[in-house]
Amino acid sequence: MTEFYGLPNAQEFWHWANALHFVLVGLAGGMAFLAALLHLKASEDARRYTLFALGLIALDLFVLWAESPARFRFTHVWLFLSFHPGSPIGWGAWSLALAFASALLLYLGKGPRRFLAWVLLLLSLVVLAYPGMALAVNANRPLWNALLAGLFPVTALTLALGLATLLQSPWAPYPFRLVAGLSLFLAFLYPLTLSPEAQAHFLEEGGVLYGLLLLVGLGAFARGNLAPWAGFLAASGLRALWVLVGQWQGLGL
Amino acid sequence: MPRYAMAIDLSLCVGCAACAVACKMENEVPPGAFNLWIRERELGTFPDLTVEFRPEQCLHCENPPCVPVCPTGASYQTPEGLVLVDPKKCIACGACVAACPYDARYLHPGGYVSKCTFCAHRLAQGKVPACVETCPTLCRTFGDLDDPNSPVSQALRQANRVDVLRPEMHTRPKLFYLNAPSKKGLSKESEVRHD
Repeated sequence: MTEFYGLPNAQEFWHWANALHFVLVGLAGGMAFLAALLHLKASEDARRYTLFALGLIALDLFVLWAESPARFRFTHVWLFLSFHPGSPIGWGAWSLALAFASALLLYLGKGPRRFLAWVLLLLSLVVLAYPGMALAVNANRPLWNALLAGLFPVTALTLALGLATLLQSPWAPYPFRLVAGLSLFLAFLYPLTLSPEAQAHFLEEGGVLYGLLLLVGLGAFARGNLAPWAGFLAASGLRALWVLVGQWQGLGL
Repeated sequence: MPRYAMAIDLSLCVGCAACAVACKMENEVPPGAFNLWIRERELGTFPDLTVEFRPEQCLHCENPPCVPVCPTGASYQTPEGLVLVDPKKCIACGACVAACPYDARYLHPGGYVSKCTFCAHRLAQGKVPACVETCPTLCRTFGDLDDPNSPVSQALRQANRVDVLRPEMHTRPKLFYLNAPSKKGLSKESEVRHD
């Protein structure tokens, strides 16, 4: 029996709006990655995807600011007046901002195109990597283990390639199924990588939804127009679920 | 330069929460949030019963996981070993809340993250923290770990056993629990879950 006077501050700290950002930043990073690749391949799709990347990065940065309880204190300026290499969110702030700048230059046709495309490619990799790292860095959260550092990039690419498939880009469906398959395979393994107590907690809190999302994700391999939607929905749902259910300290206190 | 630390003798603590209330008053901690709270746990079965009264708060870890994850530098460690938040730089992203293994941090309604400060404002005036001052059982001691004559150093020397929360996190807490009532040391939720 455990009782308290007062309470530990164990409430949820990242809410649905943060989970929305975790989905959007996946899309933004994935789109920036695709745009950079298309520029490097000199594809005629490059300009269109650069615009999508710009829009998604801007939307995500807006959501980040809008959901922040510090929004009207305008403290976010400190993100860019400091550099803290130990902070995944710090990496995210810089990479998103610089990816936006390089994508904007690419879109406007200013500066060395190939060089900027390489820069955007590297920055997009940072954007793809940081959300999973922002979770996995917390050794105290048993559900946010190292596998999330891999799951977030592959689900982000699933989101971006799912969108590209919906946009009828002919090059998108094959890599979409590839990353969707990899995402689902790793997501299936994920519960098996948890300690018994963490696994029990995860299955109790989100197990049914998790199973459903994995099933929906299998739809990515169906024929027809529903496939990208299925992959998209599964990747979004899984990302949000990991964020929301993983805010658990374990039983160590 | 002092290296501030606190010790709580659990063989004396009765879990009255005077420290928690003093903290609320002193630091004007908003409703629903706590710099300091008491965990009370019954352990064992009759006739081998133990109750552990355990005040919890920021442990001002020597190796605080909340500091490096902060993207703006709002979360920082002072040369005296206090872990503090500069609200002027805090974007309330919650990275530090996520990283803290002890639930010590919360979002202040003012739009920034807050937590126990070891009463830094009182230390600056040469006073001890409000929780230490008010403790009726004198179970709390505070002072400079590097000074062998400080109350906290003396208490640590005289203790039969010294424990910290979640040592496996390698955070090196500077809040020490002395003389834990259970022979197994500090209680864990994983050990009482069968209730």
